[in-house]
Amino acid sequence: MSGLEAGVGAESDTPRVPGAPGSAGMRLACEGASFSYEEARAPIPALCDVSFDLRAGGSLALMGASGSGKSTLLQVIRGLDAPETGAVLLDCAGPADAGYAALQREVGLVFQAPELQLFASTAREDVAFGPRRLGWPEAQVTSAVDTALDMVGLPPAHFAERHPYALSGGEQRRLALAGVLAMRPRLLLLDEPFVSLDPGTRRQLVGILERLKAAGVTLLLATHDVDLAWTLCDELLVLGEGRIVAAGSWDFSTAGGRLFAANRLREPFFVELWRRLGRDPQRAPRSAAEAAEALS
Amino acid sequence: MKATIAQYYAGDSLLHRCDPRAKFVAVSALAVALFVRDSFAGLAVYAAAAVLAYVLSGVPLAWFWRAFRPLLWLVALTFVAQVVFAPGEPFFSFGFVHLSWRGLELAAFLSLRLVVLVLVGSVLTLTTPSIALTDGLAWLGRPLRRLRVPTDELALMVTIALRFIPTLLMELDTIMRAQRARGADFRRGGLRERTRSLVPVLVPLFVLSFRRADELALAMEARCYRPGAVRTRLHPLRARWSDAALLVAAAAVIAAGLLV
Repeated sequence: MSGLEAGVGAESDTPRVPGAPGSAGMRLACEGASFSYEEARAPIPALCDVSFDLRAGGSLALMGASGSGKSTLLQVIRGLDAPETGAVLLDCAGPADAGYAALQREVGLVFQAPELQLFASTAREDVAFGPRRLGWPEAQVTSAVDTALDMVGLPPAHFAERHPYALSGGEQRRLALAGVLAMRPRLLLLDEPFVSLDPGTRRQLVGILERLKAAGVTLLLATHDVDLAWTLCDELLVLGEGRIVAAGSWDFSTAGGRLFAANRLREPFFVELWRRLGRDPQRAPRSAAEAAEALS
Repeated sequence: MKATIAQYYAGDSLLHRCDPRAKFVAVSALAVALFVRDSFAGLAVYAAAAVLAYVLSGVPLAWFWRAFRPLLWLVALTFVAQVVFAPGEPFFSFGFVHLSWRGLELAAFLSLRLVVLVLVGSVLTLTTPSIALTDGLAWLGRPLRRLRVPTDELALMVTIALRFIPTLLMELDTIMRAQRARGADFRRGGLRERTRSLVPVLVPLFVLSFRRADELALAMEARCYRPGAVRTRLHPLRARWSDAALLVAAAAVIAAGLLV
């Protein structure tokens, strides 16, 4: 029951946040974005007319059955694929506006199983890859790398000179996350970050994301884990076959329940618990700590 | 992903249904005949047969073009090399370039021969799934087992290699996207810089491939694969009358090309 892990907080190693001082989260808006994959016989539509707005510092859970277009949406937002129609607005700026490329560089994207993309001979070198591509002076790169490693619970004194492939699976996942955080993203996109992690590492990752959220970083989290989505995200976006089927705040009414079932989802644990206790599911706690407080 | 190697066009034409062994023998024999015969008349016969086979295969022209496009430069190179270096009385000279009618004729002949060869070969790969092709090759290579050549194992290796080309291409794409999201640029810079920018792509690709190979070997052993063991097939190859007809037709075409 992953929702129970939340709120306990990670064994915080160093709760420093690698956001530049004063830099708040980025506002994200999709306006009628569509995208399809080129295939030999006919293009396969992956996103159809996707529109939503995520306020700066907000957190949005992106859910939907496998193949519903979640990963494609994240890659389109990061600019790895250009939408065929519509646009992705970052801080209200569109692709035609000056400075859009710079804004895109402030969008961090953590791929599914990002540990498969580690390549350097030391952890430090791998994390420094992104900041160096940004053209930062070496002193700034070093401090960004140290901060990011601290942030993900891999203290540089211990881990910076280790070989990435000599680390455990959970450590590799966190190292890959550090590689993205070192670029100081103001909008962080995560593609299934909890898959195949042990419970301890999941809890650490939840703690890291909670701290980023508290620091004002905008979060967009694609996941199948409804409990962690409920714990971490204020809002919900459900995709079905490339189209938005639900967007906005969590809805646990009867209609909401039907929507969950139709998209191979279920209600979060605490919501179901609140329903069974005869309480208002809409006001269910987000974490074990909140639940304990409400019940005591 | 656009993989042009050993492309297969799923279809149900006469040629699709032929036994891979018959197709392979017919195509190989035709390829040999193409190189033995050196007259335009013979080449015309083989070209006509190749076009006929292509029409029978029902493969859209775009698919053939995709398989052919990478070889275009080879054809062009052949043509230019022949024109420039062929013997004969030149009617035009400029520097080391001597154009002669004989040279032009030879260049046209050799380029056309190459085009026909590619056409014939791609009809084979476009109408035969790679697994059927390696099965056929393994069967044809059976006599080599007397010489202790592990033909079945070689066939399996080729099958696995072909099977994983699209997978590796997809993984390559994902890794490149991930590094691009971290600011990598694979299109800018000189040769040195571009080569260096491949390191963040190739290292993970190799690590992944070795890991996958390891896991595949374990999974195969877990499913009782033993090298050298005699194995049966779910879909054994069966020759039919249409395969005999294909071989007879191929023999007739080859003979016609040699005799005209």
